Order: sequence, then C-alpha cells, then structure tokens
Amino acid sequence: MERSFTKEVQALRLGAGETFHGEGILAVTKALLQSGVSYVGGYQGAPVSHLLDVMVDAEDLLADLGVHVETCTNEASAAAMLGASINYPLRGAVTWKSIVGTNVAADALSNLSSPGVVGGAMIILGEDYGEGASVIQERSYAYAMKSSIWLLDPRPDLPTIVHCVEKGFELSEASHAPVMLELRIRACHVTGEFAAKDNRRGIYSGQNRVPGPVKFDYGRLSHPPVTFVQEKKKVEERMPAARAFIREHQLNEVLPGDLADVGIVVMGGLTNSVLRALARLDLADRYGATRVPMLVLNVVYPLVPEEVREFCAGKRAVLVVEEGHPEYIEEAINVELRRADIQTRVIGKGPLPRAGEYTSDVLLTGIAAFLTETRPHGIDADAIAQRAESMLAHRPAAAAAVGDLPPRPPTFCTGCPERPVFSAIKLAQRELGPMHISADIGCHSFATFAPFSFGNSILGYGMSLASAAAVGPNLDRRPIAIMGDGGFWHNGLITGVASNVFNKGDGVLIVMQNGYASATGQQWLPSSPTSRSGSASGVTIEQTLKSLGVKWLRTVHTYGVAKMTATLKEAMRTAEKGLKVIIADGECQLVRQRRVRAEEAEMLKRGERVVRTRYGVDDEICTGDHSCIRLSGCPSLTVKPNPDPLRTDPVATVIESCVGCGLCGEVAHAAVLCPSFYRAEIIRNPTRWDWVKHSFRSSVISWFTRAPATREGGKQQTATQASTPLPNPPPQGGREQTVCGERESNPSEKGPSRPITLLIAALGGEGGGVLTH
Amino acid sequence: MQSTSIPGVAQRTGATTYYIEIVPTPLSALGGKRPVLALTPGIGDIDLYVASELMEGARGVAGGFVTPERTTAIASLSRFYAMNEKIAMGDGRYEQDRLTQAIEQNAKRALLFDMDALAKENGAIVNSVMLGAIAGSGQLPIPPEAFEAAIRADGKAVETNLRGFRAGLEAARKREMTPAIGPGKRRSKATSDLAALERRVAQAPTAAQEMMREGVRRLSAYQDRAYAGLYLDRLDFIRAADDAAQADGRLLYETARHLAVRMSFEDVIRVAQAKIDPARFERIGAELKLKPGEPYELVEFLKPGIEEMCSVLPPWLARRIIAASERRGWLGRVHWGMELKTTSVSGYLRFWMLAKLRRWRPRSHRYAEEQAQIESWLGLIRAAASRSADFAVEIAECARLVKGYGDTHSRGLANYRTIEQRVIDPALNGDLPAARAIDAIASARTAALVDPDGGSLVRCLAELDRHESFRVAAE
Repeated sequence: MERSFTKEVQALRLGAGETFHGEGILAVTKALLQSGVSYVGGYQGAPVSHLLDVMVDAEDLLADLGVHVETCTNEASAAAMLGASINYPLRGAVTWKSIVGTNVAADALSNLSSPGVVGGAMIILGEDYGEGASVIQERSYAYAMKSSIWLLDPRPDLPTIVHCVEKGFELSEASHAPVMLELRIRACHVTGEFAAKDNRRGIYSGQNRVPGPVKFDYGRLSHPPVTFVQEKKKVEERMPAARAFIREHQLNEVLPGDLADVGIVVMGGLTNSVLRALARLDLADRYGATRVPMLVLNVVYPLVPEEVREFCAGKRAVLVVEEGHPEYIEEAINVELRRADIQTRVIGKGPLPRAGEYTSDVLLTGIAAFLTETRPHGIDADAIAQRAESMLAHRPAAAAAVGDLPPRPPTFCTGCPERPVFSAIKLAQRELGPMHISADIGCHSFATFAPFSFGNSILGYGMSLASAAAVGPNLDRRPIAIMGDGGFWHNGLITGVASNVFNKGDGVLIVMQNGYASATGQQWLPSSPTSRSGSASGVTIEQTLKSLGVKWLRTVHTYGVAKMTATLKEAMRTAEKGLKVIIADGECQLVRQRRVRAEEAEMLKRGERVVRTRYGVDDEICTGDHSCIRLSGCPSLTVKPNPDPLRTDPVATVIESCVGCGLCGEVAHAAVLCPSFYRAEIIRNPTRWDWVKHSFRSSVISWFTRAPATREGGKQQTATQASTPLPNPPPQGGREQTVCGERESNPSEKGPSRPITLLIAALGGEGGGVLTH
Repeated sequence: MQSTSIPGVAQRTGATTYYIEIVPTPLSALGGKRPVLALTPGIGDIDLYVASELMEGARGVAGGFVTPERTTAIASLSRFYAMNEKIAMGDGRYEQDRLTQAIEQNAKRALLFDMDALAKENGAIVNSVMLGAIAGSGQLPIPPEAFEAAIRADGKAVETNLRGFRAGLEAARKREMTPAIGPGKRRSKATSDLAALERRVAQAPTAAQEMMREGVRRLSAYQDRAYAGLYLDRLDFIRAADDAAQADGRLLYETARHLAVRMSFEDVIRVAQAKIDPARFERIGAELKLKPGEPYELVEFLKPGIEEMCSVLPPWLARRIIAASERRGWLGRVHWGMELKTTSVSGYLRFWMLAKLRRWRPRSHRYAEEQAQIESWLGLIRAAASRSADFAVEIAECARLVKGYGDTHSRGLANYRTIEQRVIDPALNGDLPAARAIDAIASARTAALVDPDGGSLVRCLAELDRHESFRVAAE
C-alpha cells in the first residue's frame, strides 16, 4: 500500500482518559471500534480510502476485538455485507466514495433498507463534492430519501464526528434502519483531537460467535408480499422512531442569537464555514457564539418537524444553507411550515448559488444578500453587505494581474507503465486515423488531459467496454475501450467483457494491468502479485478472459511502444471477429520504486554492483520542437532555457526525478524523433571487469579526442561548443534587492482571538513537496 | 491548531493545497471554550500563503487569497512547467516576470527565492526548505527550534530535512530575493585562426557584432573557415539592406542569428560531431555526479531513414534513391533503428568516422538543398527590406520554423513554404500592403507553432483571406 499506518494503528488502541490526535477519517475508524462493530468493509476511494487501509494494517487489534474486515471488490458487495445486520444483533460499517459508490451499491441498499436491521448498520460516505472532487457532482441525499436511510452530516470537528458515529449506531438500532454518515473531503483530512474511550467488543463477533442461525422469518426478506408491509413500516414506524431519537438525544443543535427575527438552518458539515463567514462580518465570535440564531442539522435526513417549527416560529425569515442541487431540505422546510401554517419566509437558493461548492466567498456573499433582503432589527445590513463586498473586491484585479494560467491537473507519475500505452495509441492514430476511445475510471483517465486528450466518454468504473457496445456497430471502425485492472475486477469483467462476448461484440479492449488499485493508494486486487495475507490469490486476468471465451488475447509489456503500436494496429485491422483484448502489463511504478529503491540501497550497502539508469537530452541536438513531450507527457521530461546563444526556444531536458523507465528512448525510436536522447548507466560498486573495460575504452577514446589537437597544432576543431558557462542574467526587471515594504494592516480584522491562517500550495507526487505533518 | 488538505486524486504531480489555522493560545487557557476553526480558506483572510513553485504562488494571488492588507506570500522562484507550457512547439512558457510581479504587488510582504536550487544545494527535498521559510517568516508563534525538534522526532531523513529547513530559514530571514538559476548560455571559444574573419565582424554595427562573432565561430567549427567566410559574405548583403531600410542593425542582428543556425543545419555529420564532443562527456559526467574515473555507459538512440542516409551522398545519387523510394512508398516508413554506445570503442569510432565526413559535406545532397533554401530566404529578406525594415525582420524570423530532423523538419519546412506562398510572395508582388503583411506573417508564424497538425495555421490563413477579400471588396 502507498502508506503504512503503523502510527495510526497505535491511535486506534487508545482507551478512556487518553486523547486521540489525527485525521477525521481515522477518528471515524476509532469511533467504529468504540461502538463495538463486529464487521467492517468497503471499497477504496478518496477521501475514505484510509479507513479501510488502516483497518487492514490493524490486523492484530481487530483480531483481538473479533472484528471481521473485508476489502470488497466493489461497493455493491460492501453494501450487501450489511445484510448481516438484518437478522443478527451485529453492528457493522462499510465505506465508499459517494456519489459513485452509492450508485453501485444502490440495489443492495434498497434491499437492505426494506426489511430494516436489528444490528446497527452504518455507511460512511466520502462525499466527493467541490474542490478536489474527482466524480460527478450529485448529492447522496436522494438515496437517503428514496430508501429511508438516515443521513448524518456532522459538524466537521472531531468530537462531533465521533459522537455522531456512536449515536448513529444507536439511531440505527432504535429505528431499525441503516444510517449513512457523510464526510466531505476536507472533513476527512481535517486533523484534530478528541477524548478517546475504550474499544468495545460487539455482543457477537468473531470472538463470540452467534450460536446457530436465526429462525426462518419471511418478514426479514425483501421479497413480496412482505415488501408492501415494509414500505408502510418505513414511514409509519421507523421514521417516527428515528425522529423521536434525534430529538431526544439532541443530535441537532440550536445556537441561540440575539437577532431573533431571522435564523439560519445549516447542514452540519457547513457549520464551521457559516460561523467563520458570520465572524468575518462581526456577527459571531471565534468560539461559535453567533448573533444570528442557527439550527445545525447534524442529521440532515429525516428532518424533525417539531424542531423545524420551533426554530422558525416567530421569525420573519430563515436562510437554508444547503449545498448542492436539488434543494431537498429547503423544500422540506417549506412544506413543513405550510403544514403548520407558519408564515416564516424560507430563503436558500437565490442568495446562495443553486449549484457548486459553498466556499467562503460564496457564503460571505450569500449571507450578506440574505441580511440585506430581510433587514433584521439591530444591525445595519447595508454596512455588512458593503463589508462583505470589500473583502472580495480585490480579486478581479488580482486575477487580471496574474492572467490566464495554464491548468495543472494531476497526471501520470514519472515512469508510469500506463503512459506508454497512450504514446502507442497516438502513434497508431497517425496511421489509422482517429479512433473512438471509451475511457474509464482510474489513473489512465489522466490520458484525457494534455498531451494525450484521449477519451470520448467516461461512463463509470469498469464501464468503458460496456459503453462502447452500441458505438462499435454504428461506427466505421472499431472503438477502443480502456480499463484498469481495478475497473476490471470492480465491474468490467461482468458488465463489459461477459456482456461483449455474449453479444458477439467486435471492439478492442486494453486492460491496464499494473497490479493494484493505484489511483486510490495501491490497494490489492484479486490479480495482484501479493495480497493482505502475503501470497498471490492465484487469479489472473489472462486466465479469466480465456475462460470467458476471449480468443484474440495479447499480453504486451507496456514500455515496448513499438510492439504495443503494432499490436494495436493488428487489433484494429484483423479480419477476426470478436472481442480483441490487449493486456498492457507493467507494474505500478510507485510500488516498484518503493521496492527497488530499498533493495538497491541494501545492495549498495553490501557493496554489490548496482546499475542506475537515467535518460538525458543533448541540448545541442534538441531542436526545441517538443514532439517528445507531446508523445510522452512524462513529468520528468520538461523544458529548460536554451543554452545556445543563437536560439531562443526552450529545449527538452530530463530532470533528476527520472527513474529510467526507458519510455523516452522507446518513443524517440518508435516515433522517429530526433537523435538527442541518450541513456546513461552509472555503475556503482563496479566489478574489476567494469574497471578494466572502462579504462581501456577511456584510453582509446581519449587518444582520438586528443588526436586532432596533436595533428593540427593545438587547434581545437572538433569542439563545437566549449563550455564557458556564463552566469544567467537575473530575471528581467532585476529585483535582486529586498522585498516590498510592509503595508498597513487592516485593524478591524485583527484581534487576539483570530486564528492565524496558512494556505499552502505544493506539488504532489513522490518527493514533490507534500507536507504531511 | 487545525489543518486540512485537498490532496486531489491522492497524487500525482497535480497541485495539492493545505489549509492550516492556528489559535495562538493553548486550549487549556481558553476556560473550556473551543474555537471554531474553518476548513476552507477565506478570500482576504490568509496570513501566510506559501507555494513551492512560482506559478502556484501566482495562482493563489489569482484566487484572491493574497491581499496587501494581510498576506505574507512566500513562493519559490523555481518553475515546474505545466504540461501546456511544455508541449508548445516553440516557447510556451508563461511569462516569469508577470508571475513575480503579481505576487509582489498583491502581498503585504513577498518572500521570493529559489527553493528548488536551495534544496538541491543542500541535497534536500523542497518541502523542507519551504518549511524553513515558513518558520523564518516570523508569522507564526512557533520558534524554529520547535520545528527542528519535530523533524527529529519524526525520524525520517532527519539530516537532509534539517539542512533544507535551515537553508529555507536563512533565506526567509535574509528576506533577499535570489534569482532563479537556470543554465547559462554556452558561447563558442575564440580560436586564433579566425582573427581575419573576426576583424571583418568588428566593422559591423555594434548591435550585431556579438551574434556575428558567435556565428563565425560556430560555422568554422561546423565546417571550416571558408564556410564562416561565406556566412559573412551573405551578411554583407543584409548589412546593406539594413542600412537602406534604416533598421539600426536590427535586421542584421536577427538575420545573423538565424543564418548561423540555418547554415549549421542538422545532418548526421553534425549529430556525430556533437555526440563525441569531449565537452559533452564532461557535461553529462557533471550531471550524473560521477566521481573521476567512475565507470559509466552512454547509449544513443538513432533511427535514420532513407533521407538521412541520402543526405551525405552526392546530389545526383541521392535524388535518384529518394525518387525511387518515394515511388515504392518507403520514404518516411523505412528507418534503421540503432542503439549505439558512445562509451564503447566501436560505437565511438562509428561516430568519429561519421564526423570525419565533414570535409565531404559541401559535396553532399543535403548541403546543396540547404544552400538553395538559404539563398531563397535571404533573397526574400533583401527584397522585403526595400519596402520596410519590419517586414524584412519578420521574414528573417520565419527561419525559426525550419528546424529539427525527420518529421519535424519536413513539417517546419512545409509551414515555411505555405507562409511564403500565401503571405510573403503576395506582399512582395504588391498584392498585400507591407503593413498588413507584417502582422500576417507574425500571426501565421505563431499559428504554425501552436499545433503539430497545422490546424491553427490553416485557420489563421483562412482568416487572412477573408479579411483581404473584404478589404478588396470595400475598396
């Protein structure tokens, strides 16, 4: 795995009286153990990968507690795991990235929530919404409503998150319904502390097994005719029970404020952002004491009608801060107030945008607009609006001064085995013309960015081949579907391959076999070279495909660009009908480097011979056309100022992060680029033979090097460019002296209690500069 | 203290942002109150904005996070170029000055220095230097010793991290801006046998002298003294044109620069010369940080095609082979891929023998082709100079399009010829006003360098045609 969680595992062992320090998602993990779960499962995906990763590393602890951990092959299998709680008093939790994971899990979730549960069942959703999100922007809320699963959205501080996990299990059991807990990206990664409790063993677990299965009870099946009864139970029994529990245990919070004629109803997860916006407008202090009364919904579904009525009664207007579209909560509050005939205006979307993340500037503007529209007694709404405006006024000019910056999307790592496949596709397209490419989810989706810009559709994880099913028969050439081994096992095998073979499809499928679910942090797959238990599971993609009846099957090592190009051309041109699969084989370079570096360091220490390979570009020969970069896209292949005084276009260069994967040379060859690439092999701990060979070669070569000088009387003729490095001129404008003088601070926003804020932008990647602590 | 981050897709060379809030009072001293800390940075609410790369520094400014009232901005002057900057066919790099100026003008205090160079100097990773700069900025209530203690406690690469940290700390405390260090320009060496030619250079306008001197040295090493003499002869005509057009040496300067590059065209002989240049071995050795005498090997990737092979043959033979290959569809398809070791005796000797073909070069096919193209290009410049100096300079600049080997070379040459036929020729014939031609050439040249498939150039020229027919119709 990408990270080792040894330290975090220690934190999971903490008991009463100790303080947990760490990330939000790990606090959730600890809270699960404190709640006495008997089983945990899930499918990895940012921002909740760490929950499972740390569980996998905590094997001893979990064995002791009797907790079963399952690294599921997709979210549907994770959701189905919760079926254990339908019949048995077993608490269990599963996790995945939402919205996409919830989509995959939806069938099992419907079938789970219809009979309901006796043991607490919780789903931890990594709500991948807003900045940094990598999926479609939709809300998980709809699933909560349609399946009667309660949805918790805790305030993003660790004590509240942990409290909500613990109470969530109780809520689930009290109302016999599963519960979802959603955490946004920043909340998953937020660091903080909470007072730990002792871990608990479940009533039943691996350590104390249930004595025999439960008696047959048709009522526990999601099968007609009991499904009709279950539907009624949801609304007539479970929902009222849930509302009663939420109210009794005060899961939602009311923050009082003196501006009593207005109020704010906010999703728990956005509370801190709203309080910060209010504080910046002098309507709250830094400890959460607000002048505008607030109803904080740590449970966003279901709403408790009494709470809504009590909060809104007597107010002229409330602002509903509800991120995302559609505005379910705003509509529900409107309905509730109509039913109770309460005349409070409900304002939400309008002053606040209908779609998109509620960032600090959005909230500042939205709250100011709400105040100017409702004009609460006791404040000068116009002054506040002006204040909000002035806080943001500088941005257009600043943005104009910087200009339109090129984007910096994530990309394939240096040495990535998947990148060469796209170089090969690019080269094949030169001959075959453009192809329809069905892209998929995984690292390979970075090929949709420059320099490749490949992909005509992305339909979901493992869906590429299925999404080309109707393209092939309607297009004048075969489509190419690209799928990772992660996507293959997640969904692609059945949805894509089996369906294609069954329907006699005629497309091309490229399976990127790098051995791991790499984009999410290198989790093991059924076809990984190793597994949690150490040994390989013995499942291979090749065998699997053969057993499904795939006839045209080639496995090509990815770095062989010429071979890959030829194989691809063959797949596109062959008269043979049926699915043609190319397994592009190459281990994830991040995993490989971690292993190889450690091995080489050991060998060096032992004095053994180690050859380190690096690639380079002769800047004299490089013409500055950058074809090589357009074909490779390697982060370590970049440009530098041209050292030639006669030329201005920057030349290509290979920087130190090069891992010597060989793609540069392969591309230079396959694409017939310029002769400027070279491979350097440095021999550490050389053998005697290495020394002899090297000194013989050097002495012969140096004779030739000196030869013209002796013959032509000391005149240096062969040396076209002697190295007399001139200092580089300072950057234009030449400000070499000290920096700008300090300017006056704005006193109004200063104060002893204002936190000091730091925003850091670093470049990701191995050793690229990520600050982790 | 609270921190959070947006790590993107858990990876991978994209930008990663971290947001940290610190309440400078211990929790125990707050009397049971808990501060509410935000998870998203507020525009205009940032005390310290830090970026390990210059463009990311400017991106924070563009987002409004850096304000003159509050923000200390610390950013590295080093660049890690974005993909779109790297894939341009010419120079796609974003303007460095614009980035630094935007940061300086929008920050309360700007602390800009080359973190990357400092990290390399200290054998450290850039984030340790960045952390040092944060500690040295004086913005945090945390003494540097506390940072150092934390680095030690973490126990990972402690020594290098501490070195990087201290370097960053020093740099921030000095508050001096060190310019980003790039490789310097490498000039050719003077040799005594070129004295006569260099005396001729000394008579040229001062503005162009340095460029011409570089050209003379380059070409005498590339071919011989006579060839360098031909360079100066050609420039004599341009000098006259420059005088006539009152270009103050500007035309001469640009033409001298491009002519030297064009005359040292890249054929297999030149590649061989460059590959066995002793200075190259020295340079690579330094880059690889080799200890003296340490064994290493260099493997060169070559894949000459029929055209490259023919470039050293006599024109009559080369033309026949090329024509025959074209008929059989071999041209551009048949190549000989080879990996040669310049560090082995046999590999070195092959390059050495190829380099020895230098004396034969003037009788080669490629030489004949190149000289004809150069003469034609110079002819256009001279003709244009009689209309306007700017017009002539624009044509001189078009030499930039013709570069490289194989596909790159033929694509560049084709683009140049298109611009010649569609813009330069009509302008010289009087069908297009010189003032319009200047703009048109410049835009067409830029367009030709935008994409390799030539789409931009086609669109640019179509636009030009549309304007022209509109103008003619209006008249």
